[in-house]
Amino acid sequence: MAGKDPIPSPAQGVGPIYRPDGEKPTATVSKEVSYENVHVLSQTPQLIALLTMIRDQRTTRADFIFYSNRIIRLLVEEGLNHLPVVEQSVTTPVGRAYLGVKFEGKICGVSIMRAGEAMEQGLRDCCRSVRIGKILIQRDEETCMPKLFYDKLPTDIADRWVLLLDPMFATGGSATLAVEVLKQRGVPEHRILFLNLIASPSGVAEFAERFPKLRVVTAFIDQGLDDKKYIIPGLGDFGDRYYTL
Amino acid sequence: MESISPFYALSTEVKYSPPWQDLSIIGIAGSSGSGKTSVAMEIVKSLNLPWVVILVMDSFYKTLTPEEHRMAHANEYDFDCPDSIDFDLLVNTLKDLKQGKKAHIPVYSFADHQRQPQTTTLYSPRVLILEGILALHDSRINDLLDVKIFVEADMDVCLGRRVLRDVRERGRDVDGIIKQWFKFVKPSCTKYVEPQRGISDIIIPRGIENTTAIDMVVKHIQRKLQEKSEEHTEALRNLGLIAAKVDLPDNVHVLPATPQFQGMNTILQCPETEEVDFVFYFDRLASILIEKALDMTPYASTNIETPQGNKYMGLKPEGTVSAVAILRGGSCLETALKRTIPDCITGRVLIQTDENSSEPELHYLKLPQGIEEHYMVMLLDVQMSSGGAALMAVRVLIDHGVQEERIVFVTCAAGETGLKRLTAVFPKINVVVGRIEADLEPRWMEKRYFGC
Repeated sequence: MAGKDPIPSPAQGVGPIYRPDGEKPTATVSKEVSYENVHVLSQTPQLIALLTMIRDQRTTRADFIFYSNRIIRLLVEEGLNHLPVVEQSVTTPVGRAYLGVKFEGKICGVSIMRAGEAMEQGLRDCCRSVRIGKILIQRDEETCMPKLFYDKLPTDIADRWVLLLDPMFATGGSATLAVEVLKQRGVPEHRILFLNLIASPSGVAEFAERFPKLRVVTAFIDQGLDDKKYIIPGLGDFGDRYYTL
Repeated sequence: MESISPFYALSTEVKYSPPWQDLSIIGIAGSSGSGKTSVAMEIVKSLNLPWVVILVMDSFYKTLTPEEHRMAHANEYDFDCPDSIDFDLLVNTLKDLKQGKKAHIPVYSFADHQRQPQTTTLYSPRVLILEGILALHDSRINDLLDVKIFVEADMDVCLGRRVLRDVRERGRDVDGIIKQWFKFVKPSCTKYVEPQRGISDIIIPRGIENTTAIDMVVKHIQRKLQEKSEEHTEALRNLGLIAAKVDLPDNVHVLPATPQFQGMNTILQCPETEEVDFVFYFDRLASILIEKALDMTPYASTNIETPQGNKYMGLKPEGTVSAVAILRGGSCLETALKRTIPDCITGRVLIQTDENSSEPELHYLKLPQGIEEHYMVMLLDVQMSSGGAALMAVRVLIDHGVQEERIVFVTCAAGETGLKRLTAVFPKINVVVGRIEADLEPRWMEKRYFGC
């Protein structure tokens, strides 16, 4: 099980700040990256426990779906925070003035089939009736390179903010191609938010450098990749665990 | 920062007394068949308040030995002398209630002359009517009574009533009843019951027919309740004055005003927002609050294996997490709760604020079994202004054995004074708040959520 990446993931006490370190249970937390356009969710004990559930091979499919949906909602909530807002003042039902904000700009989701589609439910939980496009990317048997097989995207996608969905981010081959497709359709790079659950440190680094204006929101940056380019420790095949196992 | 004000030191001693602490106890004594029960019922009916209860002294009969049991069935056991009553237990029960604690009332079976293994619990009455032939017999009890009533009736009437009651309700035969009457009831009446007349505050002749006397008693209780209600409201106000001098403590977690969170708050507060949108954004916002609250639960390290056989050191939640919704507002958060923990054990407590006195009142309480064992109890309320309902609800949980540090109060919006007041009284609880709002904000969010 020798991974390419020799640096182990950090293990630390996880818990609220007000609790002294000695009282916090220890867990392996996300690696840190120094790219401004990569946002890792706050490593709360709650998030770590959810990730532990979906990583555990003993977790049943029903639980896997439930707990991954919970993480995906947290991801979507964080992702949406990167969208622009404008000030708006309202008079509340009890007649007080409240200076708030209004969401600005239209959004859509684009899922990379099939695992990305598993994130659509979580997206819809936060954004009702959101438009969702799909992209199918498969490995070309001859060239071993990712190849675009199918896409169906909203016609006005160039005017929208795009939440690109793919739960596992290993080498980033599919995601890179998906971003290229979106850019060809006229979506500016800075209006793409890539949401994913678990990323590899190398994949995320390459991606962040290649697309400096695009933002990545992930729940966890794992230790590395194994010889077969699977994320370690990872959680197995997300699509299989969500749809079939 | 300013130097720490002396009020901060005070805050560790800040106490909250719920309105059911120092409850009024009315004792009603009188001969068997004199109409004590009817008088007690009439008082309850006239007061027409949910927290008035009748405690019948029969519940405190001692369990009989086999020999006494045999005698009882032969109508030869004296149930009318003071020795048959467990006065020690009764005194302790009344003292617990007087301190605002939960009390366990024994259940006595007349068929077996045995105390049953199960008990009924009595919690938070504000008026308790203690009714029994010897209600004014024990001086320790008399010290706890606010009003001592003696109900009087002609002995012939008493016997007539007793025969009818025992035949109809207790399945006895007339011979036995008459035997018992002359052997025990009547002598005991002279020896123990009658002397209570002397120490009573009010003697009510003709029992229930005496509406003038009953009315006087009811007026007296109402006046007492009014005074106590004013004291409670005043005490709450004083807590606020003390609390206003301190900073919001660390255990109050106000959610960061991220663009999305603020945007949702704007939609929720905009009166033009459609009802469906309000419910949608409310549930979304509440889900974030619940997720935040779950960070406070205890976790333990755990080592697991992924499907590929890789090891990972993660966390697993420890113990049971449950929730208690403060009705009606708290139930708004239940959709979000079920989204996060679909099978979350949920208790309910209905606390309504009286529109006139603005005093919170406990109307209904249903807590899950074993709540004292739960590692975390989320107390849900949609909005908190003065904190009166929250104070009461936390107190209720603590009275039911929940440790203070295991309580997490979750609310969408709260006034700063209310928060300080709550945490001054209960410094160990955690509070998760969506948004700080003006003090004394009326509760409007639940109206929007439920559409009425």
